[in-house]
Amino acid sequence: MAETKGKLSRRNFLLAVGAGGAGAAATMLAKSVPQAETKGELGDDAKGAGYHVSEHIRNYYRTTEV
Amino acid sequence: MSAVIAPVREEHIPAVQEDLARADLYALIARLLYSPDRQLLRAIAAAGEIGAETADAPLARAWRALAAAAEACDAETVNEEYENLFIGVGRPEVMLFGSYYLAGFMMEKPLALLRDDLAQMGLARSESVREPEDHLAALCDVMRHLILADENRDTAGLEQQKRFFTRHIQTWYQPFCDAVLESKSANFYKHVARLIRVFFRIETESFEML
Repeated sequence: MAETKGKLSRRNFLLAVGAGGAGAAATMLAKSVPQAETKGELGDDAKGAGYHVSEHIRNYYRTTEV
Repeated sequence: MSAVIAPVREEHIPAVQEDLARADLYALIARLLYSPDRQLLRAIAAAGEIGAETADAPLARAWRALAAAAEACDAETVNEEYENLFIGVGRPEVMLFGSYYLAGFMMEKPLALLRDDLAQMGLARSESVREPEDHLAALCDVMRHLILADENRDTAGLEQQKRFFTRHIQTWYQPFCDAVLESKSANFYKHVARLIRVFFRIETESFEML
């Protein structure tokens, strides 16, 4: 119960301050760029297929057309 | 390149609007801090308002100011500012790496702690990349990843985000933003720093509600 209440107030807070409505502006920017392989990769191959943070960013930000 | 990146599958996208919006804001900030380009500036300039409860909400104001700056600045000027501020000749004017703020130097103990935490989450830097993992763009990208990968959308997922944010971002983003805001070379990036400051304050406060 307390957990649900906490979640609800957090959600209301995010929406009230605009962090929940940022989608209108920021989503179009993020949607048009390639996203990282996420969870599916993580357990498959700890060494080779981990989430390559910097490599991802390099690709993410250098190959992008908004 | 395409072997490393792929579209997020539909089931990985959180259904909840505010978390998707948070992920997008992290993505945007990461991109601004890694390598701004003409298309990005145009898109920011053309983007609409942030829908907060009041138009005067700090995030909405910071966003509006950034959009106005993106419209007023040309990409070459912004790129030059980025290079002067964050790359520089020799030592950059403003450091983008957490270890510098937390330990006074690059590549110090905070970076080792970050690497341990990333390893525990199954995340690692590619061997071909030079930038340390405590680059603020990389940290924002980890947050984006944690939000989007949280399929269960339960408290444990939020607690993981909170833990990562609290340990590796909250500890130093303010001095970073202050350094940008105090810099005489900064113009466009002052608006970026204000957006970061407001958004991360919101993140801090919202995590405290858990």
